[in-house]
Amino acid sequence: MSAGKILVVDDDPQIRRVMRATLIGHKYEVSDARNGEDALNRISAEMPDLVLLDMNMPGIGGLETCQHLRSGSDVPIIILSVRNSEKDKVAALDAGADDYITKPFGMEELLARIRAALRRAPTSPESGPHAVSTEDLEIDFDTRRVHVKGKEKRLTPKEFELLRYLVSQAGKPVPHRELLQAVWGPDYGDEPEYLRVFINQLRKKIEPNPAKPKYIMTEPWVGYRFATPAQELPPSPE
Amino acid sequence: MNRPYVRRALRLLGAVVIVALVIAFYFRVVSVNNTTVALTLLLVIFGISTAWGLLEASVASVAAVLGFNYYFLPPVGTFEIQDPQNWVALTAFLITAVMASQLSVRAKRRTQEAVSRRREVEGLYALSQSLLLSGSARTASQDLVSRVVKILGVTNAAFHSRLSPETFRWGPDDPLISDEQLQADRDEPLIDRSRGLAIVPVRLGGQALGNLGLSGPLPSEEVLNAVAYLVAIGIERARVLEESSRAEAARQSEVLKSALLDALAHDIKTPLTSIKAAITSLLGQPRPDADRELMTIIHEETDRLNRLVAEVIEMVRIEAGQLHLEKGPQDVSEIIGSSVVELKPQLQDRLVEVRLQDSLPVADADFDFVRQALRQLLDNALKYSPPGSPLTISARAGEGRIVISVADRGAGIDEQEQLRIFDKFFRAREHRFRVPGTGMGLAIAKGIVEAHGGKIWVTSEPGQGTVFSFSLPVYRGQMVQ
Repeated sequence: MSAGKILVVDDDPQIRRVMRATLIGHKYEVSDARNGEDALNRISAEMPDLVLLDMNMPGIGGLETCQHLRSGSDVPIIILSVRNSEKDKVAALDAGADDYITKPFGMEELLARIRAALRRAPTSPESGPHAVSTEDLEIDFDTRRVHVKGKEKRLTPKEFELLRYLVSQAGKPVPHRELLQAVWGPDYGDEPEYLRVFINQLRKKIEPNPAKPKYIMTEPWVGYRFATPAQELPPSPE
Repeated sequence: MNRPYVRRALRLLGAVVIVALVIAFYFRVVSVNNTTVALTLLLVIFGISTAWGLLEASVASVAAVLGFNYYFLPPVGTFEIQDPQNWVALTAFLITAVMASQLSVRAKRRTQEAVSRRREVEGLYALSQSLLLSGSARTASQDLVSRVVKILGVTNAAFHSRLSPETFRWGPDDPLISDEQLQADRDEPLIDRSRGLAIVPVRLGGQALGNLGLSGPLPSEEVLNAVAYLVAIGIERARVLEESSRAEAARQSEVLKSALLDALAHDIKTPLTSIKAAITSLLGQPRPDADRELMTIIHEETDRLNRLVAEVIEMVRIEAGQLHLEKGPQDVSEIIGSSVVELKPQLQDRLVEVRLQDSLPVADADFDFVRQALRQLLDNALKYSPPGSPLTISARAGEGRIVISVADRGAGIDEQEQLRIFDKFFRAREHRFRVPGTGMGLAIAKGIVEAHGGKIWVTSEPGQGTVFSFSLPVYRGQMVQ
């Protein structure tokens, strides 16, 4: 039985060959596309379970392809790129990608990320909080809606999961590793820059002043903490 | 010099001769009554006034009155007049001739003035149009000078540009417009019509651009000032055009350089990606030990090649001024934390002590690049200090800067080598063959720190250890509460 159907989008034929050989060896079904247009044409017919998308391609680039894919589908997308700056990662994640891997990469790492993305199952809503409401922030976890000062903000699935986990542990510092594993999966944990990208994005969306956050606090050397205004009061003696 | 006087004398003589010829014609050839003679003479005088001017006409009038009286009014052959009526007629003739001449000359002068005004306006228009065609400031100056000569009809023109400074001349060799006069500071134009020389200051918005010198038949002062103003506009326009095209060329070259570097990075990393993906895929499967050993070598060397390429491209980027920093408020403790976490696999059992000054200000920095610089220093400290020895990272603030230091307990660096340690490709003598590296790490760190407007330095005590430090500016922007 197939472990899942993967669409590999890359303009380099050798990369497509290696991917095809390796992924088939790991029981995945593989189809490939040479560029963004090709990928968009195939997506509806192929119905892949996951897309591996090269960032730098002729024609419509990886970012635009990612946006187009995302507008019509919820398929997990992993961006492959030679660039590793935060700016490029933010751009990819903002375009709707779930994950980002820098070329050249080890196959084990890619396979782990593919497994994690395919496993993407949101933490069950029953176990988490249902809503948060403060003077300028409203989060409804059941309807997956976030309002900041009355305006609705669009959060990507990963941003939303991150926020949900932090809120479920409100007031407690959540270590980097725990947060990465809770949101991305058990193979993650050594990507603090990854978390930084998403936390920055989240802060930009929900904090009134992202430079002086009041909800998503950095706990130096530990991780992050969600602070509700009530919890910022001096703690009462137990 | 005498030519105008000679010409005038000849014309005066000519006027008298014409009158004499008319009188001789009527006296000797055709016999007509006195009225016809008088009217013919009047016509001739109008003609002379129109063609030559008032003085010639006046002399012709007097000659006509004398001749008419002598040859036609009785008693003929004398200058006497018998009939008082003839006195009246003769006086009326003289007054009519002179007044009509005056009117005719005035009308002619008006026409000439109108024509010359029209020519001047046409000239200015042609000059202003030609300004639109000129190229660089330098060719524009030369072009303008030649156009001024052609359009204004002067003999020579010269422009001394104060900005270059350079003098542009057009026309035959002419000592009249001297360099001294052209280069002098002047607020008012110098116009010497007797010598046919004008030196007009060329200024725009209060700024003196230079002087324009003209020699030959000069136009009116208004036209001279207008020409100077047009020249100023023309030169300024050419200068601005040149500047903006230079800026555009520079920008395009920057874009090209950046695109080339991106393409280079992409093209080298693409085959590395295939190799690494293939070899790691093979390594993921069960293999005999000998195969595994060889594959591991391929894998490690691929990584090494990748690091090397990344460093070379980074170095080229720094040297080409292509580090595109995205500076903003950055928490230094976060930069340190993230660098340490990233190096965790290499740290093994090392103790890393972090000392941060309380209430450290925020740095104005690009997170990615500063982290990269710090990582280079940490990497360096790990390579050049004994395994298991502790590292210390500290950050303190002072004088508008934040100083981040990395201290190790290695062998230290001697003074000679401290001076060269940030040079590209420099490797310390005793480590050259022992510790792997390209000699670009510290040069890259230096490039990044300097692009932030900071400094990087090293202090070391041989045998005691080494401290690498760099400074970053404190963020001064608004941190709205």
